[in-house]
Amino acid sequence: MLTQILINGILKGGLYALMAMGMSLIWGVMNIINIAHGSFIMLGAYTTYWFFTLYGIDPFVSILLSMVLIFFLGFFIQKFIINFVIGASLFITLLLAFGIEILINNLALLFWTADVKSVQVSYGGANIEILGAVIPTVRLFAFLLAIAVSIILFIIMNKTWLGRAIRSTAQDLDAARLNGVNVGKIYSITFGIGTAVAAAAGTLWAVIFPISPTMGGHLTLKSFVVTIIGGLGTMMGPLVGGLSLGIVESLGTNWFGSTFENLISFTILVLVLIFKPNGILGKKE
Amino acid sequence: MKGTLIGFALIIIIGVFVPFTAGNFTIRLATDIVIFAILASSWNIIGGYTGYASFGNIVFFGVGAYATAVLMSKAGLGFYPALILSGLIAGLYGFAIGFPILRLKGHYFAIATLGLAEATKALVQNLGLTEGNSGMYLPMPEMGIDASYMFFYFNALGILLLLLVIMYFILNTKLGYGFVAIREDEDAADSIGINTTIFKSISFGLSGLFTGMAGSVYAYQQGFIKPEPVFIVTKTVKMIVMAVFGGVGSLFGPVIGAVSIELIANYLSEHFLVIHTIFFGTIVILAVIFAPKGIMDIITARKKLGLSYFLENIRKNRV
Repeated sequence: MLTQILINGILKGGLYALMAMGMSLIWGVMNIINIAHGSFIMLGAYTTYWFFTLYGIDPFVSILLSMVLIFFLGFFIQKFIINFVIGASLFITLLLAFGIEILINNLALLFWTADVKSVQVSYGGANIEILGAVIPTVRLFAFLLAIAVSIILFIIMNKTWLGRAIRSTAQDLDAARLNGVNVGKIYSITFGIGTAVAAAAGTLWAVIFPISPTMGGHLTLKSFVVTIIGGLGTMMGPLVGGLSLGIVESLGTNWFGSTFENLISFTILVLVLIFKPNGILGKKE
Repeated sequence: MKGTLIGFALIIIIGVFVPFTAGNFTIRLATDIVIFAILASSWNIIGGYTGYASFGNIVFFGVGAYATAVLMSKAGLGFYPALILSGLIAGLYGFAIGFPILRLKGHYFAIATLGLAEATKALVQNLGLTEGNSGMYLPMPEMGIDASYMFFYFNALGILLLLLVIMYFILNTKLGYGFVAIREDEDAADSIGINTTIFKSISFGLSGLFTGMAGSVYAYQQGFIKPEPVFIVTKTVKMIVMAVFGGVGSLFGPVIGAVSIELIANYLSEHFLVIHTIFFGTIVILAVIFAPKGIMDIITARKKLGLSYFLENIRKNRV
């Protein structure tokens, strides 16, 4: 029983980690809290739904297509909208992100209506057993893919020229510019990567849970919580935060019932903020 | 000084004039606008003057609404005692909670307040006293329909005026200067002997007090409240949009913002029912990009007005 609960928590935590990774990247590099993050997750879920119902493409294949599409959407949203307020104060950028969220969500409502949809893959009912715990295969696939995406992101950030450019932009805008980095372009690429990762999380979410145009708000909040718990500015932060939140939620809902899920996660959030404002992995400033 | 007097005179004249010229539908709309003006102006105390962007101010609205529901339906209090107590409860909640979370800065504070609002909502959803997700009924006002429209409108207007008058006086005291000093440079404020912890908590408490009173009027007007709508996050964002749209850190900016945003939203929903929310999102984006300092700045900076004013805003914040 306990193994089952822990494994459920870890599987969900992997998805949380992936969701938070995009938000954490954008936040860390551009100092913007992307309130519209959940909307990009939602868009990833719906592109997957479209590829599946219109063309019969398996979600675990179409995840790449969704990521590419949403990368370019994010790239252009940064280039033509967010870039104009990037130097402004905190709530200006937050408000802009909020405006983008309203726009995307309501366009989605117009296109896809408010009905709840789901992606039913043929192998959706299959299970495997590990240590006496029953695990749905799709959840395991989704978890492994989430890990794979985060490893790729890790490699990009640490081993490539692009990653170095992004990191140096995050550290010191002027120094990066002096060394020949096109800062504007790096911002657009970073935002694109962040939304592409969100889209990947959306795809995996769509395989497991029902989707609707308004699903994003809740997931934005979850991504926030994970980012904060893990600590900003480290690549491992979202992973640690996601897995902790997944496990604690799984244990908590088992003990107190599912109506307490939000109370548990937000109480943890406030406590972490008060006692360890830089997150579990965060260093003291 | 002269501008402030004109501002107060305009609010009183227009505010009193409206209900005697219009039907109940308009009075109801005006009540909503005034309630939003209270919310935006209350947010302005902590966000605009003190410089701490609270993204969880809706928590005070919800606490005020639920306090009124509990006090009136379970303790049998009348509306006015319940209104005052609810305001005090929400204010104390803000004051007390301010001590731990106002140590956080910038984004972290914004998110802590958001988390606080969500946690409080989840608590209300699970408490026996607040009857969980099934919601609470309040006693009906003992008056005719027409009279009740007037009643709620004038109560809301009274709270708005009280808030503005109190803030006007506070701004010219050590307390008000302290708020602004903290916004401009908290370390410097601390070094000249301002007890920043207490000042920030008072600011958050004041913000909570008036937001809670607005929640109280709202609850009595609705007659029935549930956790989800009274603690809704988008309402927090809406009050910030209004404050920013009108002009952060000015006395009348948030009022102007609330009136114009609500009128625009209402116009759009009447004429373009299906796509009005898309328009609304677009307006928020355009306003933030072209006039990040709000309408008040456009009014007071008349000289520079013209295309160049908006272009300058764009150039300034770009990378």
